[in-house]
Amino acid sequence: MLNIYPIIAGVGIVISIISAMKKAPFFNYLGILMAMYGLLKCVEFVAPPLPGQVILMYMAMFVFTFLIYFSIKEDQFQAFLRPMKTVLADDDKKILRVLIVYIMIPVLAGYITYGKVKPQLAPPTSARIVHPEPPASITFRGEKISLLGAESPVRNDTANRDKHFEAGKRIYYQNCFYCHGDDLAGNGYIADAFNPRPLPFRGTDTIAQLPEGFVFYRIAKGWTTLPAGSTPWDSSMPAFDTFLTVEEVWQVTFFIYEATGNKPR
Amino acid sequence: MAEVSTTKGISKGVVKLTVLLGISFAIILLFKPFATEEAYRAFPVIGSRVWVWIIAQLHLNFAAFVLGVPIFAVAMEFIGWRKSDERLDKIAHDFAKLFTVGYTITAILGTVLLISLPILYPKFMEHMMKILGPTWWLYIVVMYTETIIVAYYYYSWNQMKTEGKGKHVFLGLLVNLAGAALLLITSSWVGYMTTPGGVSEAGELVSRWDAIMTYMWLPLSLHRLVANVVFGAAIGAAYAAYRFTTSTSPEDKAYYDWMGYTAAMICIAAYFILPGIGYLLGVEIYAFNEQMGIQLMGGFFAWLWVMQAILMGLILFFINYYLWISLNKMPGGERYFKYVKLLYIFTLLGWAIWMTPHSVAVSLEEARRIGTYHPILGNLGVMASKNTATIVAMLATFYSYAIFRIANQEPTVPWAKTGTMVKAAVMIASFVGILWIGWYSYIVPAEFRVKVLSTIQFGLFFGVMIATLVIDKYLYKDAHIIGEPEWGKMPDRSQYALIGVTVTFTWLMSLLGYMRAGGRQYWHVYGIVKDTSPDAFLPTHGFASVVASITTILFFFVVAAVFWGIIKTEKVPEGGTS
Repeated sequence: MLNIYPIIAGVGIVISIISAMKKAPFFNYLGILMAMYGLLKCVEFVAPPLPGQVILMYMAMFVFTFLIYFSIKEDQFQAFLRPMKTVLADDDKKILRVLIVYIMIPVLAGYITYGKVKPQLAPPTSARIVHPEPPASITFRGEKISLLGAESPVRNDTANRDKHFEAGKRIYYQNCFYCHGDDLAGNGYIADAFNPRPLPFRGTDTIAQLPEGFVFYRIAKGWTTLPAGSTPWDSSMPAFDTFLTVEEVWQVTFFIYEATGNKPR
Repeated sequence: MAEVSTTKGISKGVVKLTVLLGISFAIILLFKPFATEEAYRAFPVIGSRVWVWIIAQLHLNFAAFVLGVPIFAVAMEFIGWRKSDERLDKIAHDFAKLFTVGYTITAILGTVLLISLPILYPKFMEHMMKILGPTWWLYIVVMYTETIIVAYYYYSWNQMKTEGKGKHVFLGLLVNLAGAALLLITSSWVGYMTTPGGVSEAGELVSRWDAIMTYMWLPLSLHRLVANVVFGAAIGAAYAAYRFTTSTSPEDKAYYDWMGYTAAMICIAAYFILPGIGYLLGVEIYAFNEQMGIQLMGGFFAWLWVMQAILMGLILFFINYYLWISLNKMPGGERYFKYVKLLYIFTLLGWAIWMTPHSVAVSLEEARRIGTYHPILGNLGVMASKNTATIVAMLATFYSYAIFRIANQEPTVPWAKTGTMVKAAVMIASFVGILWIGWYSYIVPAEFRVKVLSTIQFGLFFGVMIATLVIDKYLYKDAHIIGEPEWGKMPDRSQYALIGVTVTFTWLMSLLGYMRAGGRQYWHVYGIVKDTSPDAFLPTHGFASVVASITTILFFFVVAAVFWGIIKTEKVPEGGTS
């Protein structure tokens, strides 16, 4: 299927350049908005597409800020308003006025309204929560473990770092990699089955932002004890306190930090 | 406004306060709120929570107004007195007029809140009185003190104008000290509810001082104090903007244009400090309870930070817009329009990154295509980029101001060329330095980023501003003035930008107030007094936004009435506007 967004971006850029040369700020404004929309949609050529909500936010920002830009100088602002004033007030523009004000704008409004109200089969969009807040303590196979400021005994056991790393690696490949992936990037074999997808550990924006006790808590308790304050939750993370020991959970926590080169907060 | 004697003014203030307190106590005694086993009473139709939410927020908005505006007014009065500038004295008097009226409204709203809380939440208020009761009686004493000083300050203005101006400024200082005392007392209540201390797990008092001196108390007080200055100045700017757009005489337009500019610049100067103090507040919340910190910063409330970023960036754009338009009224200002393009790009990029969410609301289809985190958005949505973007946008705003200040001048000092080059070098080095730290923040542990790099970035920001202002002070000493600023030569749309700042900031205050209160989740006093009412859940952000919007609209409805009332009671000057 033909991707029209590069064309939209290109046409927008051409309109913008010609309008700038002809000193027609209103059409320059429209051209820039077209170009920006096209370019935002073209992100999908180099990366996954931007979500609709983000494009909406950026476009609202562009509409507002470029309007501001074209209204700083008085003469430019008057030139910006001129096409609108001409269409709305000039006697010889009656046909154009009818066409734009009475036909095009209502039809566009109707089309947008139709798009909004027509029945959709897709599940509704929901704001996703990044980090559920951890409880002060958890019960791990009958043992109470305090999470506030918790320090990893495995990390502190510097004499046996290699042993813990290897143990953590084994545990990871036995339990975690199906979802979180071979390279710890959240792209395991069955990752596509979940929404939200499993968390990647690489990069600086996930476990690098978290204290180690928090990661311990998420592995140990999974979806089972997510806090009451922020329900409903979307999480398919199993609770590993039924499969692993306390030390094993610390070991796998240690492994995912070390293997990705991240440091806990 | 008709002249009222100082004694009469003070008596009026004391009588009003006494009547309002009397009404409160009479109603409370009549209802006997504490003589019940029930923990809650329901407010009709909208429920107790929404009712108290709206009234408390409105009360807080006016309280912020009447605590913030005096800081601004007294500063203006002091500078006007030392520089013998009549305009500054007039602006200070105009602001004193605003907050004197504001006091009455704050007191009325406070009365409604005072009646509502014990009746609707008897058990919770019983606990609060048990722990912090004496602070409430101190609050009443300070309120009376403040009422007397404010009335004395306002009504003695003309009397002390020529003789005793120093004493009058000192009175203004006392007004602010009393205001700060009120702020400290009320912040101790909120601080106790959110980060309690000084009590046993069963809620029994162990140490009253520890119950006051909680983790949140001082950072919250400081945050509110600075936010009050921003808010007070913003209201002042909105008032000036309203008067500007409704004035017809050139003199009035020139005066209100200048008033709006002065208020807006104080507003934005204080605004620059807010993120740093907010940071401090966040650190204290984390220190009290990591759970609460995570929930506020990365959990349920994460999306409100996106909304906050949108609104904060909007405020910067409004201010920049106002300053860029202001270049039109500066003879020689056209020389600087070429730099506006660059400042526009920096502000736009800063805002875009600031508002970019880390985790985005996506449809199922989008989620499948994007993965857990979008590779571009995920990297823009973290602290390293947010701090950098915020500082870049704020620094660009500062340079808009720095350009405006010198737009009608040409330096005459022999080292003018070198000075200008040094200034440019400082600017370029600062932008490069801030961007480099932003990049470096990605590759260091979080602790180093939070405690060291962020501090350096903010330090660099303030350092550059101070350096630029100091260089300009000497560079433009005895500068050639191309022409005086043409005050009043501003289009109305520039004034709407000032009103935009005020409305946006008010809405933001409501939203962040909800977030701060929501951090307690299903507790009245976190971990001590549980909320067992039917409202013991966090509303959706959509619902909270609607309540914040209603509160903001109600607030501006009352503020508009105040503006209108002030204008109506003024005498119509010859050839001027009413």
